[in-house]
Amino acid sequence: MSNFLNQDFGSEDEEDDFNPAPQEESDAEDLKVKPTKKEHSGGDGADEQDDVKYPRDTHANEEDDAKDVEDDEEIENEVDDDDEEEDEDEEEDVASRPQKRMKRVANPFIEDEAGVDDEEDEADDEEDELAEYGMETHPDDLDALPQGTETDDRRHRQLDRQREIDASMDAEKQAQMLKERYGRNRAAATDSLVIPKRLLLPSVEDPSIWGGRCKPGKEKEVVYSIQKRIEERPAGSRNPIRIISAFERGNIMQGWFYCEARRQADVTEGLEAINFYYPSQKLTLVPVKEMPDLLRVQKSEELLPGGWIRIKRGKYMGDLAQIEEVETNGLNVTVRLVPRLDYGMNDDAFGAPAADAKRKRGAVNTVRPPQRLFSETEAKKKHAKYLSSTSGLGGKSWNYLNDNYVDGFLIKDMRVQHLNAKNVNPRLEEVTMFARGGEDGTANLDLASLAETLKNSTAEDSYQPGDPVEVYRGEQQGLIGRTVSTRGDIISLQVTEGELAGQTIDAPVRTLRKRFREGDHVKVIGGSRYQNELGMVVQVKDDTVTLLSDMSMQEITIFSKDLRLSAEMAADGQLGIYDVHDLVQLDAATVACVIKVDRESLRVIDQNGSIRNILPTQIANKIEPRRDAVATDRNGAEIRSGDTVREVYGEQRSGVIRHIHRSFLFLHNKAQAENAGISVVRTTNVVTVSARGGRPTGPDLTKMNPALAMQTPGGGAAMPPPRRGRDQLIGKTVTIRKGRYKGLVGIVRDADDSSAQVELYTSNKPVHIPREILTPKDPVSKQPLSMGRGRGGGGPGGRTPHTSSGGPGRDSWAGGRTPIAADSSRTPAWSGAAARTPAWGGLNGSRTPAWKNDGSRTANPYDGNRTAYGGVGSRTPSWTSGSKTPYDSSSGFDAFASGSRTPGWNAGGATGGRTPGWNSMSGGRDQRDFDDAPTPGGNYSAPTPGAYAAPTPGAPTPGGWAESAPTPGGAFSAPTPGGPSKRDYDAPTPAAFDAPTPAMGGMAATPGAGYGGNDGGPRYDDSPSP
Amino acid sequence: MFFLKEETKVISMHPSYFGPNMREYLIGRLNEEEEGRCTGDHFVICVMDMVDIGEGRVMPGIGQAEYTIRYRAIIWKPFRGETVDAIVTSVKPTGIFTLAGPLSVFIARKNIPSDIKWEPNTVPPQYTDHADQVIEKGTSLRLKILGVKPDVAAINAIGTIKEDYLGPL
Repeated sequence: MSNFLNQDFGSEDEEDDFNPAPQEESDAEDLKVKPTKKEHSGGDGADEQDDVKYPRDTHANEEDDAKDVEDDEEIENEVDDDDEEEDEDEEEDVASRPQKRMKRVANPFIEDEAGVDDEEDEADDEEDELAEYGMETHPDDLDALPQGTETDDRRHRQLDRQREIDASMDAEKQAQMLKERYGRNRAAATDSLVIPKRLLLPSVEDPSIWGGRCKPGKEKEVVYSIQKRIEERPAGSRNPIRIISAFERGNIMQGWFYCEARRQADVTEGLEAINFYYPSQKLTLVPVKEMPDLLRVQKSEELLPGGWIRIKRGKYMGDLAQIEEVETNGLNVTVRLVPRLDYGMNDDAFGAPAADAKRKRGAVNTVRPPQRLFSETEAKKKHAKYLSSTSGLGGKSWNYLNDNYVDGFLIKDMRVQHLNAKNVNPRLEEVTMFARGGEDGTANLDLASLAETLKNSTAEDSYQPGDPVEVYRGEQQGLIGRTVSTRGDIISLQVTEGELAGQTIDAPVRTLRKRFREGDHVKVIGGSRYQNELGMVVQVKDDTVTLLSDMSMQEITIFSKDLRLSAEMAADGQLGIYDVHDLVQLDAATVACVIKVDRESLRVIDQNGSIRNILPTQIANKIEPRRDAVATDRNGAEIRSGDTVREVYGEQRSGVIRHIHRSFLFLHNKAQAENAGISVVRTTNVVTVSARGGRPTGPDLTKMNPALAMQTPGGGAAMPPPRRGRDQLIGKTVTIRKGRYKGLVGIVRDADDSSAQVELYTSNKPVHIPREILTPKDPVSKQPLSMGRGRGGGGPGGRTPHTSSGGPGRDSWAGGRTPIAADSSRTPAWSGAAARTPAWGGLNGSRTPAWKNDGSRTANPYDGNRTAYGGVGSRTPSWTSGSKTPYDSSSGFDAFASGSRTPGWNAGGATGGRTPGWNSMSGGRDQRDFDDAPTPGGNYSAPTPGAYAAPTPGAPTPGGWAESAPTPGGAFSAPTPGGPSKRDYDAPTPAAFDAPTPAMGGMAATPGAGYGGNDGGPRYDDSPSP
Repeated sequence: MFFLKEETKVISMHPSYFGPNMREYLIGRLNEEEEGRCTGDHFVICVMDMVDIGEGRVMPGIGQAEYTIRYRAIIWKPFRGETVDAIVTSVKPTGIFTLAGPLSVFIARKNIPSDIKWEPNTVPPQYTDHADQVIEKGTSLRLKILGVKPDVAAINAIGTIKEDYLGPL
């Protein structure tokens, strides 16, 4: 038994090794010995027994051919007594010691050994039996029995038994046992119990990890060599390697590999003379904290048949492909692609596509054929020689240019490296291309696998705080809550339903799905061609949500992860600034309404009803909706945007007016699915169905009451517009027609509606006189003036000619009064003068510049401070001159009396506009000339005599005057020299004129005084009144 | 669901309306503006009575008087889950458009029982189960409101008839 010695040396403190023992055994006895050896080998060596017993056993079997002769007997026994043995075993386990003893007693030799190992525990016992069974499978025996079944069956049963035993043990004991057995390696315990991850983290008691340097790129080889060395020199061998494990991190930590061991010396020793290892560089101890990081794996995407991937390079770069098959080595994948073939259409006539790979590649780069299913007819056109049919099961398999095409798809073997399984994000339109191959034409989309693919690519940002979510797998399955925050791919959610309501828990993104209720208003946030579509959920089924688009009223089925609750009211997608239902200008003559917004293009319906796809760049501008746009319908009723109208002829379409453009209406009808509900009609072809809801029909209380407004035209009850400025009467010279002051003349100092305060010439004392009995008079001529009664008369047009003639100015010539009648003392000229020559008009009313030198008046007598209504206002120059002049002439009066004088007056009155003749007269010297001129305001006193002088009968021929009348300047300048000599004029004027008409003489002063009075009262008093 | 709600409204009045009929003017105005109005949240069905018309305040500068009227009105606010009767206004392949009073409710194809099929070839087109249930324009339906989407001055709703006791009456 020298073997034993060896064995002992090697295995005393090392793990028990199963193999050596059988090798050394050569006879029957050893069989029994072996278990004892196990017992020797100590508890810590038992670890791996469970896992590896089968290989070990078989190993043992093979090696132990020789000794098995004897085993036969035992095997037979055991076959017979299987059940008994089992019972025994159970008993052993329950009360093991005695049983064991008994058993071992059977073999005296063993018993000695057993006695030594009294303290062994059950685990070893079990091993014993295992060993025994292992021995039992003897080739001879196998010959006798059906080989596999017999042994397998037994082992199975044994395993079952063992489990039963384990199960029957009380938990505490089991735990203790397990701890003893697996205590050293906690990680191993995960097999039997679910242990929270954090308890599995390494601690200081665990073996350390050292990092070593090696040649970059050769990490794997280093690890392999270490592994090999460990196998060659296992623990328990003569020169064992005490490195527990070795690993590397590939690309992440190039040039590094890691060894797990108890002591650094173990590592150094184990790494001796390993290829590519750089012993010169120091080993680095990995801190305990960082160990887990070192072993964290970025889980490579699991490739499963039916899943979706993208091609990384080559002709199909970026294309979606479906995995057909994954080869067991995990390196090669058969994928299904939608081919991109040009069938030689773009090749030169002589160049075979396969012949010149380089050129072909170039061609491919320039124009990539679109994705289309393989078509053999097309391939036959030019490339019949490259095409061969292969008899597939479906019979639709082709080989073309060394690629296989089945059902129109390209079936291609690819290396995993050329595939991209991350962020595949298959779009629905891509996926539908694959679905088209369905036999019966129905979409045979594997939504589940699609969902799975999509799930993996779920971006964290697709969850936002407040989203309602549901945990649909994992421990927390079924929880419902709202997301509170997201970080990385962990989402905190606040549970809203169930027992945990109110708590906040964390869950990984992949276990969550968004939760929607029917009727929720949602927005598609990505991942599909329906992006930005808004709609209402009509159905929720697991992960898919069916929603009814607000815009198109169509049902869309979509993954819930691509949705989120929307608060937006408007139901539109947007492309830049363009919205669905916007009105845009395409060219000068064409407008169109947007009916669909795609990612890059717009679909519009123009005013002629034609539908076209355009790019945003083709739009000239967007027409902002005009709220006040109005059109008339067929019946002439007013229609505005927002009204509901119906077509009269044609399809009788109806809808709400969205836009009005010239004679076209863009109607929107929710119930119409096509064109986003938009249709175009002409205004002449619609009738109003209803005005925009809520347009009140009653009177608008914020506007004028129409009932009152109605009354005004007839009754004239409306209040006249307020008058501005001074009362016209103020400052006038008036005579009093009635009462105790009858006949007296005075100046109105103040006036109100009913009465006036008159300062009488005579008494220099203001008296109140009713307005009615006042007659304004021309201060110079004392001629009654026609003047608006009261404060200047009524509203526009209020003063009629009648009024003016019947008013105070009753002597107006319109009345047909003869000069005599007008005033006996007056010359006809006077009478004419009183009647409206323009100059008089100005005088009368209203202060033409001629009249008023005070400068406050504007030059224009009609528009100036005189209201249009003002008594004089009604007289237009044409009226005055036109009507009067003929009258004068025809009536036999001196034509000049009226017409010709006018210019004189004008000129005389106009301070700035005097004719030279007048100027000469009106200078300061004129005043001196006129001794009687009572006022220094020569301007007026001077012209006055002249003015009156002109018309006197003694004056030069009337004809000349009359003719010269129209142009004041000319008129005056002409007659002046032509008529009386200038000198005559100069010299005699005052006397001559004064003389013939005494009244005039007296009056001569008056104007000056009157004006003086206007300017400043006192002067008037001094005026000599005859 | 119907509610009796007390609300206030400010009406301003041109001075030309001042006079003995002022009250009538105000009430008329209120009825006109409020009844049938949709706030996006509810429909005002009927103004019941005035709680308080209040004193008018003449606004400086324009002479109009402002009245703050408190009144009570019957309103209807449609709720999710509410069952209403409606009249079909049009029938399309995508679903059924109905009017439940002032509220337009759409019943999507998905929310119509699967045995009631779209039958485009009849005149007028209809949904029918080829038995006693025929849904065409003008049919009275009982439906359940699934969701309500408020708009600025309108409410849109979707409904279902895919439940017991729902469907044509």
